[in-house]
Amino acid sequence: MMELLQFSLCFMAFNCFALAKFNHFREVFKKKLTDKQRHSFLATGWITILLSLVLSVLSEGGYGALLFCGYMALSVLMLMILYSFTVSWVKHISILNLSILLLSCFSVMIF
Amino acid sequence: MHSQSIDAVPSQRPKNVFKKRSVSISYRISVFFRFVAAIFGGYVFTSVLISLLAILLPLNQLDSVLLTTTLSVFFYSCVFIWVFAVKSLKRVWITILLTTGVQFVILSLIKGWL
Amino acid sequence: MKENFFRSMTWLHTWVGLLVCWLLFLIFFAGTISFFKDEITYWFEPETHTVTHQDNRLAKQRQQINYAVEQLQNKAADSSSWRIYLPEPRNPLYTYSYAEPKQSGQRRAKFTETYLDPTTNEQIAPPRETKGGYFFYRLHFDLHYIDVRTARWLVCLASLFMLIALITGVVIHKRIFKDMFSFRKNKGSRSWLDAHNVSSVLALPFHIMITYTGLITLIFMVFPYPAQTVYEKGLQQMFNEASPIRARVESSDVPAPLVSMNTILDQVYTKSPDADIGFFFIRDANKESSRVSVYLNTGKEVVDNGAAFLFSGSTGELLAEQGKDWSASARFYDSMTALHAGRLASPLLRWLYFLCGIAGCAMIATGCIMWAKRLRERLKPQQQAGVGLKLVETLNLATLMGLPFATASFFIANRLLPLEMVARADKEILVFFLAWLAMTVLAIISSSKRQWQLAAWLNALVCFAVPLVNAMTTEGNWISYLLTQKWTLFCVDFGFIIAGSLFILQGKKLRTASKKVSTRRFQKPKDLKEQQG
Repeated sequence: MMELLQFSLCFMAFNCFALAKFNHFREVFKKKLTDKQRHSFLATGWITILLSLVLSVLSEGGYGALLFCGYMALSVLMLMILYSFTVSWVKHISILNLSILLLSCFSVMIF
Repeated sequence: MHSQSIDAVPSQRPKNVFKKRSVSISYRISVFFRFVAAIFGGYVFTSVLISLLAILLPLNQLDSVLLTTTLSVFFYSCVFIWVFAVKSLKRVWITILLTTGVQFVILSLIKGWL
Repeated sequence: MKENFFRSMTWLHTWVGLLVCWLLFLIFFAGTISFFKDEITYWFEPETHTVTHQDNRLAKQRQQINYAVEQLQNKAADSSSWRIYLPEPRNPLYTYSYAEPKQSGQRRAKFTETYLDPTTNEQIAPPRETKGGYFFYRLHFDLHYIDVRTARWLVCLASLFMLIALITGVVIHKRIFKDMFSFRKNKGSRSWLDAHNVSSVLALPFHIMITYTGLITLIFMVFPYPAQTVYEKGLQQMFNEASPIRARVESSDVPAPLVSMNTILDQVYTKSPDADIGFFFIRDANKESSRVSVYLNTGKEVVDNGAAFLFSGSTGELLAEQGKDWSASARFYDSMTALHAGRLASPLLRWLYFLCGIAGCAMIATGCIMWAKRLRERLKPQQQAGVGLKLVETLNLATLMGLPFATASFFIANRLLPLEMVARADKEILVFFLAWLAMTVLAIISSSKRQWQLAAWLNALVCFAVPLVNAMTTEGNWISYLLTQKWTLFCVDFGFIIAGSLFILQGKKLRTASKKVSTRRFQKPKDLKEQQG
């Protein structure tokens, strides 16, 4: 579950980075990205990615850092495919991502 | 606008290569010598540098060898890139030969080879 | 000045990349596959597929070592070397082997291996002679037919070029993180550029790490000088000091009985109570100079030479211990090897490594193709392609499509070659290179879009043939693996099915692309998602 939490945090971070870009935001929401939104996306992105890194390193040390590199690669690959071929899914995937994040977070806290 | 600015960067790449390539024999020779300087010059420079460092570093024998050897690749690639970043080939050769020579003399003095 | 710097870096990126891109592709391809070296070897030995993982692996280790030593005493009491490999999560087999007396002219002694079922200790029929995943592992730095030293120097030079290309690539691509998620479809060489960028950026830390650490694994061959200046006797002295566990001792002829393994194991378990023993080596058993070395599995620690113990086999005394008090630089060096080999990886990390490796292959492949396309687009309509461009195009087709083809053929050869064949393992490898040669001939004939398409269909054919041939020649098949939860075998077969589907996709894409008479040049979707293990 811990791995799932780290990965979904990483995925969310890169998703935020992608949404902080004007072209991607317009494709997803059909609206113009305001500066305020852009900043909040970037901030969320940085917070979550750091959280993911810290969690990985805290739980597994050097091995966790390696895993984190892998999570980044996987997230970017998935997002690249998502944004280039199936933009319409972005909203659903984001919701899915968020719910997985919350679920794994709860289960980590409980067990 | 967004996509145009991206295109500008990479499309330069082969154009330069192509233009330059068709220049002349002397250009090709200079490229060849640059590669020689980067590969062999860089190699000799790195070897002498890390050998010297291995002696100078205030660590025990094994540690200094392991550390310098591990960092060798880093030094080598820095020299390699530097060779191609400097404009004049003459300067490249002179710098490499001089620095390598000086380091080698210091190394020999320490080891008592001279 | 700045403009000039960028230009020279761009130039450097193109040329160091191109000079060695095909060799690099081979190295990356074989290296990526060898992340699954053990799994592939398991697939290659269907005789061992009946063996299942045992329960309480750790609890049984003491008994297993004792049993193997007992067997070895009966079979080869005077052999110079015994080796015991205990079952591990990646390989359920329990193996012991002993060295045959060395023949004259042999560099290394031949080992006779015995495979056991870990649950019952029953001997399993010896599996077919094959190199399996080990072939890819050696291929990625020994290049097989070439002399080993020359090959390793070549590989080092190529890796250095790769590192330079990576660094300059980051320097020249100013917007590297800006358009991280954009991929522009059907835009000719621009799509290739995007694919090249995405595949490099998404695993950039991995690419740099794997190239750097790869060089580090061979670094003492390239730069022996610090060791030679610091140590009087050079490298050998350094290695002896670095790992006293492996230091050679002269073997004596004075007989001395081997101590009970329990005295040795008791010491190991006192030192580290939850030891997970990986291998157990005994040199010169029953002699005075006898040495017993116990290597523990590293688990998830980022170290390659994990904890290990060296005992005297005649007295049971602990002679050396490794991994206890390492200095920072020793740990630094060792962790680099560990990072490169990825032996520490659990399945999740192993798959991530594999994914990054594929990204590396895709990065190199797209780079090669992009360059050829660029040059071709630059040609004037009536202009003939030069020798250089033709050579590049031929090599592209031969390498990029040839290697997956050869790999799949290698897997098929393992199942189809007669079992009693002489030097069977070498014949399998011969098939690999013959298949590659065949694809090269195809590329020499022509490297047009049609030929790429033909190559794609051929690749799809052999990829689908692998699980099919496997189902026909062995007990199990794709479905039965799923039902009996043999995930390793399932994943190998499934990987080939995926690779085959991707090649079909590529073939289709090529067909529509060649039908379209347009200025768009499109050759091959970026999926060079090769085989997996």
